[in-house]
Amino acid sequence: MRKTYCIILLISASFIITAFIGQQHPLPTTLNLDIPKGWPKPAKNIFAANPLTEEGFQLGRKLFYDGRLSRDGTVSCASCHQQFAAFSMYDHDFGHGINDGHTNRNVPPIFNIAWMNELHWDGGINHIEVQPLAPITAPNEMGETIENILKKLKADAAYKRMFTAAFGDAQITSQRMLKALTQFTGSIISANSKYDKVKRGEAVFTASEEAGYRVYTAKCSHCHPEPLFTDNSYRSIGLGFNAALNDMGRMGITGDAADSLKFKVPSLRNVELTAPYMHDARFFTLTQVIQHYREKIDTAMATTDPLLKNRIAINEQERVDLLTFLHCLTDETLLRNKRFAPPAN
Amino acid sequence: MHKYWWSLTVLILLVQPAVLAQSKKKPAYGTVKIAFTNTVGASPLVLHDSTYSNAWNEQYTVTKFKYYISNIILHGSRMAKAGNSYFLINQADSNSHTLSIRMPAGTYNSIRFLPGVDSSRNCSGAQTGALDPLNDMFWTWNSGYVMQKLEGFSTQSNFRNHKIEYHIGGYKGEHHVLRPVELAFEDNAKLVVKQGYTSTIYIRANLDKIWQGPYTLKIADTPLCTSPGAMAKSIAGNFAGIFSITGIINPAD
Repeated sequence: MRKTYCIILLISASFIITAFIGQQHPLPTTLNLDIPKGWPKPAKNIFAANPLTEEGFQLGRKLFYDGRLSRDGTVSCASCHQQFAAFSMYDHDFGHGINDGHTNRNVPPIFNIAWMNELHWDGGINHIEVQPLAPITAPNEMGETIENILKKLKADAAYKRMFTAAFGDAQITSQRMLKALTQFTGSIISANSKYDKVKRGEAVFTASEEAGYRVYTAKCSHCHPEPLFTDNSYRSIGLGFNAALNDMGRMGITGDAADSLKFKVPSLRNVELTAPYMHDARFFTLTQVIQHYREKIDTAMATTDPLLKNRIAINEQERVDLLTFLHCLTDETLLRNKRFAPPAN
Repeated sequence: MHKYWWSLTVLILLVQPAVLAQSKKKPAYGTVKIAFTNTVGASPLVLHDSTYSNAWNEQYTVTKFKYYISNIILHGSRMAKAGNSYFLINQADSNSHTLSIRMPAGTYNSIRFLPGVDSSRNCSGAQTGALDPLNDMFWTWNSGYVMQKLEGFSTQSNFRNHKIEYHIGGYKGEHHVLRPVELAFEDNAKLVVKQGYTSTIYIRANLDKIWQGPYTLKIADTPLCTSPGAMAKSIAGNFAGIFSITGIINPAD
């Protein structure tokens, strides 16, 4: 009698447990964007309508590293945004797309982009979520249609599982794909360079680094202010017009002549790793860049930034110290962070 | 005794929903359908196979005609706004020609809508439904929606293959193309919305008026316009004038 009782109890318990498991998908694990101390709030509060979760982040990570987002399967987001180059393209002047296509501009690094209201060198992208549409559909980059990508993803069991884990059901839509990608790219934060450690009291500058920091503060920080080392504005630094590229910069977006040859101010963080420099990749070393500011700025051009009308006086000692300081902006943990590396499968 | 319990249960089940409904006092809503007919003059638009002539004696065919309708508002004794509704009217897809919204019951004198997508929705990130980039109405290099898309061919076009291409958009600054359209109903044909019923507004979108409005649009001068700017704004001004009400069907009394 007692035995029967036990069996009945066990069977009913197992029924209840099975029903419970079968009924609900586990909820995705909420993540918090780890905003470094003293930093402003991210632009547009990007994760307000796109709750950051571990499952969403991992889905975005898989998408970021998946060549199937391009037409012939050879180019992923990570092809041009390499972790070891602070998510810029190492040693390349222009991005490489399918069929040996080349972009018209230097690949910008993608870290701290959660703090950008607009993206791309010309600020043409008005929201981080819609940015991937540009490289994905550009014939010289990934050359694919959103329609085809969704077909490929829907045919993949792993994606079905991961979309379900991230969003509660297996529906695979462009919106979900873009939101997942945003969860990954928006989470890439660089805030652990030697400079950051000094600010947190965990390290000290050498004399030369300290002197370089003073040069930076006096001569660079207006357009490259801490803590992001960019004000994300559009400026012309008197590079002149590059006829081979026929690139008018910000003016191409606004149609305003006052924006002619203006480009987004890039961050100085990880600048050691993101050579070559400028939108048209014309400088291969930081010394060339400093030389431009010292002697080569085209001050006669109408839209050259007023701050640069007299160029920037930097003597040899200052140049050396400044370079030493700029190397303090390299964030080794960003390069080695396993969460941003290609997924295992 | 058993019988008593049984009838009491039935009574409670019957009465409870009515009591609940009473206590919530939901406003009465009806359905409003808006049926768009794209025409050239009086004849329905035919893609590909019909050649039309505009006011400047330029001949053209139409291969694509799509436009957004959003921010629909009805004006009457009260103002009613359709919540969060974006529709893409696509000539090639007859299912898209009639849109349906829920509106509070009442009598209305006019309808107001935006031919296009408001500025806020242009910069709110990845969207879905009618606003999904899959619909090929989103500029990827200069984020924003193409509000109206008209494509075809014309012998007067000096663009390659004699193509004509008008992708009208732009939501910011002086070149924004957002022009709400307000259409009044006839005095003897106001729109009546009744709870549980469907009312229909018939709207004609007459392509012929794109060429001659506040702005003189000649194919020979401007066969294409595919980015925000002064030209897009001028063409959008004409576009706002293509709509007219051709009829109303109210629920029978």
